Amino acid sequence: MADTVETGMIGVDARPARRQQWEKWLIRGIVAAVLLRLAMLMGLSAFFEDLGSVGDWLVEGLPWLCLAVGAAALLPNLSSGIRLQGNRLANHVVGWGIGTALLLIMYFFGPQIQPALSFMGRSARVLVEFTGNQGLFLAAMTALVALSLAVIGSEGQLLHRPGLFERVWAKNLTAKIAAVPMMLVALGVFTGGTIWTVVYSFTDSRLLPREKWVGLAQYERLWGEDRWLISIENLLIYGVCSLVFSIVIGFMLAAMLDQKVRFENTFRTIFLYPFALSFIVTGLVWQWVLNPDFGIQGVIRSLGWESFTFDPLYNQDIVIYGILIAGLWQGTGLIMCLMLAGLRGIDEEIWKAARIDGIPMWKTYLFIVIPMMRPVFITTLVLIASGIVRVYDLVVAQTSGGPGIASEVPAKYVYDKMFLGQNLAQGFSASTMMLLSVLIVLIPWAYLEFGGKERTRRASDV
Amino acid sequence: MSNVGTLNMAGASADAVSDALSGPRGPRPRPRFSRRNIFLYGTLIVVALYYLLPLYVMIVTSLKGMPEIRLGNIFSPPVEITFQPWVKAWAEACTGLNCEGLSRGFWNSVQILIPSVVLSIAIASVNGYALANWRFKGADIFFTILIFGAFIPYQVMLYPLVIILREMGLYGTLWGLVLVHSVFGMPILTLLFRNYFTSLPEELFKAARVDGAGFWGIYLKIMLPMSLPIFVVAIIIQVTGIWNDFLFGVVYTKPDTYPMTVQLNNIVNSVQGVKEYNVNMAATLLTGLVPLFVYFVSGKLFVRGIAAGAVKG
Amino acid sequence: MASVVVRDVSLNFGVVEVLKSLNIEVNQGEFLVLLGPSGCGKSTLLNCIAGLLEVTDGQIFINGKNVTWEQPKDRGIGMVFQSYALYPQMSVEGNLSFGLKNQRLPADEIASRVKRASEILQIEPLLKRKPMALSGGQRQRVAIGRALVRDVDVFLFDEPLSNLDAKLRNELRIEIKRLHQKLENTMIYVTHDQIEAMTLADRIAVMRDGIIQQLDEPQAIYSRPVNRFVAGFIGSPGMNFMEGTLEVSGSPKVKVGDATIDAKGYDFDKKPEAGQKVVFGIRPEHVMIGEMAKSMPYTSEVEIEIVEPMGSDTLSWTKLGGQNFTFRIDSEYAPKEGEKVKIGFDPARASIFDANTDIRL
Repeated sequence: MADTVETGMIGVDARPARRQQWEKWLIRGIVAAVLLRLAMLMGLSAFFEDLGSVGDWLVEGLPWLCLAVGAAALLPNLSSGIRLQGNRLANHVVGWGIGTALLLIMYFFGPQIQPALSFMGRSARVLVEFTGNQGLFLAAMTALVALSLAVIGSEGQLLHRPGLFERVWAKNLTAKIAAVPMMLVALGVFTGGTIWTVVYSFTDSRLLPREKWVGLAQYERLWGEDRWLISIENLLIYGVCSLVFSIVIGFMLAAMLDQKVRFENTFRTIFLYPFALSFIVTGLVWQWVLNPDFGIQGVIRSLGWESFTFDPLYNQDIVIYGILIAGLWQGTGLIMCLMLAGLRGIDEEIWKAARIDGIPMWKTYLFIVIPMMRPVFITTLVLIASGIVRVYDLVVAQTSGGPGIASEVPAKYVYDKMFLGQNLAQGFSASTMMLLSVLIVLIPWAYLEFGGKERTRRASDV
Repeated sequence: MSNVGTLNMAGASADAVSDALSGPRGPRPRPRFSRRNIFLYGTLIVVALYYLLPLYVMIVTSLKGMPEIRLGNIFSPPVEITFQPWVKAWAEACTGLNCEGLSRGFWNSVQILIPSVVLSIAIASVNGYALANWRFKGADIFFTILIFGAFIPYQVMLYPLVIILREMGLYGTLWGLVLVHSVFGMPILTLLFRNYFTSLPEELFKAARVDGAGFWGIYLKIMLPMSLPIFVVAIIIQVTGIWNDFLFGVVYTKPDTYPMTVQLNNIVNSVQGVKEYNVNMAATLLTGLVPLFVYFVSGKLFVRGIAAGAVKG
Repeated sequence: MASVVVRDVSLNFGVVEVLKSLNIEVNQGEFLVLLGPSGCGKSTLLNCIAGLLEVTDGQIFINGKNVTWEQPKDRGIGMVFQSYALYPQMSVEGNLSFGLKNQRLPADEIASRVKRASEILQIEPLLKRKPMALSGGQRQRVAIGRALVRDVDVFLFDEPLSNLDAKLRNELRIEIKRLHQKLENTMIYVTHDQIEAMTLADRIAVMRDGIIQQLDEPQAIYSRPVNRFVAGFIGSPGMNFMEGTLEVSGSPKVKVGDATIDAKGYDFDKKPEAGQKVVFGIRPEHVMIGEMAKSMPYTSEVEIEIVEPMGSDTLSWTKLGGQNFTFRIDSEYAPKEGEKVKIGFDPARASIFDANTDIRL
């Protein structure tokens, strides 16, 4: 970017008078600067100090780091009205100057202030940390930064446009503040939590997480356990069947409903209502329907067919299919709806063209419509796949993993180990395996979905 | 079949011109029970019966007395209708030592549901709006992580959240669960709102900026009044999702604060005592009533909700 | 005094350069039209002036004030959008007063400004209605009113008439012109419609690929286009282009196939070189036939291939020097297909471009 030397001044001088209430801005700027420095130091203290485990650090240091980030975001914006010597750098100088002052205060009076900050708990110890030489050193460093900024700033108008710091932080600041919950969730819970679990799967944590590293021992144990192997086998059977059946049935139902049938809404309502029900309700209903004494088997036997056997929930070999029936009952409606939406999204003129060309309907579906619906199929696939890995409630409600351990699934394994079996690390390693299996589906999909397309930026990117 | 019909009519009238007075005229007669129609409707009705069967069984079983259940089959309608199982399920059914029935779970669920829905939608709508209209550096990264988060098995994040909630002093409380629901509702809802706000004309947003409205001004005065339908969709998604949740309820609450689904499972699958199938089915129906009510009332919006959440994703 | 100054403005989206170091000065009270095909960056430039897009480099001044980093609301501009962008849930009155309320003006001031604007635009009976209940033309009037109430010096129009049908477009075009005469504000108007540009503009900036090709008065752009792109973009039907070579024995001549056109009276910007490859351009409406042709400096006899009657005029397709050639004449004198007619034109009204650089010679 070219510099904006001469003309840059115009913008500053011609500001409306009401925006020159710089006293107000100055006060807010100083408050923000104080916050910033304080929070930075607190955050850093968590790094310097040995506060014990990573978990402890997360808990004690994270709020401070968040505060630091927030304050850093606030500072330049709040003080953007300040125009000491008409220079944007000035407010940064003020900020660093105040930081120096704070460090010096801590250096001299740290121990005296500490009791007053008891509510901060162990983090308050940071004040004492800066009574030593390192406190003086840090104060000198911040003073130097302030000084150098002041020197550069006095050199002049070159730095008139918003600095990097200001542009990165202060642009769209309200939007950024509004998005803080999202950032916290994305980083703190989704990323942080996932990494935490993966890391602790290499420990021998049992009742509580602890950092005694055991390498891959948990994974070796996991893959040596019958219950886990059965879980995986069940997941595979359930997964493949559920994928195939729900896509095939879902598509067929959607294609039938797409024939402009009467009572389409009624049929759709009927096919979809199970989806509104929870897996617990689904599991319990089917547990009852498949009850060998009173359910389908009982009814048919009472009709005189004495040898009829249909007791999936009590037969170790086929119990997973019993769960599958319930799972399909609950989920196919959703797939049908997605497929139907996909079919409706197809250009009417394709059908007209096929009609005029005299292509039979099944051929039109097979060779024209289905290929056109590829994105819908892929989305459905990912949706079902990520749902399959999570299957938990259904099994708990329907069979509780029985008979024996015949209908165990990984999600249940994880829960049982973590919260019932007091074997955290086993749960962690099992959930890491689940994560891995999802990633195997998810990563290729993400490439397909987002990799090929060039991202278009919106014009409102201000 | 209106579309097909008009096509045929168009063809028929063209014929009429060439054949003058004789030949086909007017709409083509169409057998009401063609083979295709019998197959089509037959299949649909059979499938519909399969889908309705469990609901029917639930209802009839819950209206029978235990002796009748032991004798008859589950499909037969009740000879003597009794509401005793419903009363018992609501007020007397036991889980362990506690015999207050499902009512406590119901009120727990309500107490979880309302703040969760409000909080998660408030956060997600603002997020979606910020992502759609006020894009800033790094927004895409957070959003991508969020969407990935929607597919990551919850099991991976269960324990870290236990730690976070425990440190906040919320572990085992209803508010802790509210927070968890807000966190896990965020990906899908943010996506929903982002897509919706992106679909609104961008010039509206620009005009409001020229008119001097800021971030909140545009959100409250321009965007909110235009997005009622999407809020209804979000409410539907959240109400059914949160009400039906089991995993988070069982992990993050204690027996006192168990939501309805957890309590239902404990009642039905408790190993003590004689199994009272009618009470179990009444309890199951009771638990399913709220989402079923939402589903039947919302109708097309429910479909739109799941379609919006899934297809566009 | 310059009202709007765009100085060295560039805008990149990632690696794509949308605007390339643009410079424009718009005078106080001037009506400037930014004209160009879609994707040429004209709307982008307008958004930059409005502050809806942040420039990558350069400066923007409005009324002598550097507004490069200002928010749109602080720039002293009003803007009218193609899709009207009326707030659907507010009444017309609410739409007009929304910006003023955001400025926290006193209520009576708001009321008087809304009244004045609605009088000027004749939308008083519509004030209580919602935008949904308005016709396209009424909506666009309200959108203009929204800019009007802001009491600003600079109006920005982003293709305001593109969503209207042809008849309404003509009506509103006149009205915008009237408005400009009455208010004497600076107006910057983006369009891809050359008729709008020619009729409304004090000056036109023809843009292509983020670069201003020519910034001049409409007549100059029509008669002396600086390059082949501008020549082809302005005028309908488009200018005839014929490839040829330059001869400079005596007066300069352009040899097109077997025809030789004497460019006597043509005002060369540069000194013509012998043997130079050139493109000779003549507008279809500058070609005469029959008796009228005889008085022209250049005449030739051609055979008509296709005739396109367009009501008042008729477009005739033929070949000149072996290349496609079109001319437009009053339908009354139109030739028939297959007919041999005499045509003639004045090379002084033509444009000659360098065949390699496409720049006017």
